[in-house]
Amino acid sequence: MKTEEQAWRDLQARASAQLRNGFADRVIRVAHGPQDSAWNALRAHASGQLRPSFAERVIRAARAAAEVPSLSSQFALSAATAAVCLAAVVLVQDRNALQNDERNLADWENIVMVAQDYDAMQ
Amino acid sequence: MESTTTTALADLVRRAQKGDENAQRELIVAYQHRIAGFVFAMTNRSDYVEDLSQQIFIKMVRAIDRLQAPSQFESWLFRLARNTCIDQLRRQKLRRIFLPFGEEHENIPEPAGAVDTEELDALRHALAQLRPQDRALLALVQEGRSHAEIAETLDTTVAAVKARLHRAREHLREHYQPDHEN
Repeated sequence: MKTEEQAWRDLQARASAQLRNGFADRVIRVAHGPQDSAWNALRAHASGQLRPSFAERVIRAARAAAEVPSLSSQFALSAATAAVCLAAVVLVQDRNALQNDERNLADWENIVMVAQDYDAMQ
Repeated sequence: MESTTTTALADLVRRAQKGDENAQRELIVAYQHRIAGFVFAMTNRSDYVEDLSQQIFIKMVRAIDRLQAPSQFESWLFRLARNTCIDQLRRQKLRRIFLPFGEEHENIPEPAGAVDTEELDALRHALAQLRPQDRALLALVQEGRSHAEIAETLDTTVAAVKARLHRAREHLREHYQPDHEN
């Protein structure tokens, strides 16, 4: 016949057998949150992902990127080209209109002169 | 001693601002491990580390001449890093919306042995449960940034930083389980 105390001890033994090794350490770690060692491991793992000569590659890539015109400068160049083309079209159109006007005026003057000559002859 | 280091860093930054490639290289070498750690904490992806770190340093090289105060270099660099990582996470989220079936390819698990400690696994798991802004906050604190510097980086007040930091630490603790099984 088990005594009550014996029964409690059995229960405790059974329950504590459920706890895995290092239980106390785990509880302490969870209670305190990640320690510096965890953050250091994270940094070490991350810096291990950088291949050798990382800095050289960055400098080369930055140099190459500097040679490619930026989006804003490409846009500015396109806008300037469009403005020059528009100005040229307006200028040519204006000159053509002026020449047409002069030609028409000269034709009308001829017609007027011919009409005046005709009137004079009559 | 610390002021000597700060002066040396400011000199290095000034040389880099004048286009001295050796100074730029020295800055990259000096900060590459810390930036890599920051990127990994933010994205939780090993395959992003090199690519994003490179993007961050290219931005640094191209924009360093616009940095007004060389003594603020570290805060400025980590602000660049934070913004680059958050942009990347945003793009990733958008891609998931437009390419819902691409998700399984987006979340490729780390190869076996790539993450080798229980502590690191647990920290990565806990960080993954947080919002990117909170991850950035915790990573900036780990980088030794003061509350005032973080407030400046995040465009907020010191009191707000303290409150958010408190909440972020609580969440991290809630999810941090070193015996967590993936």
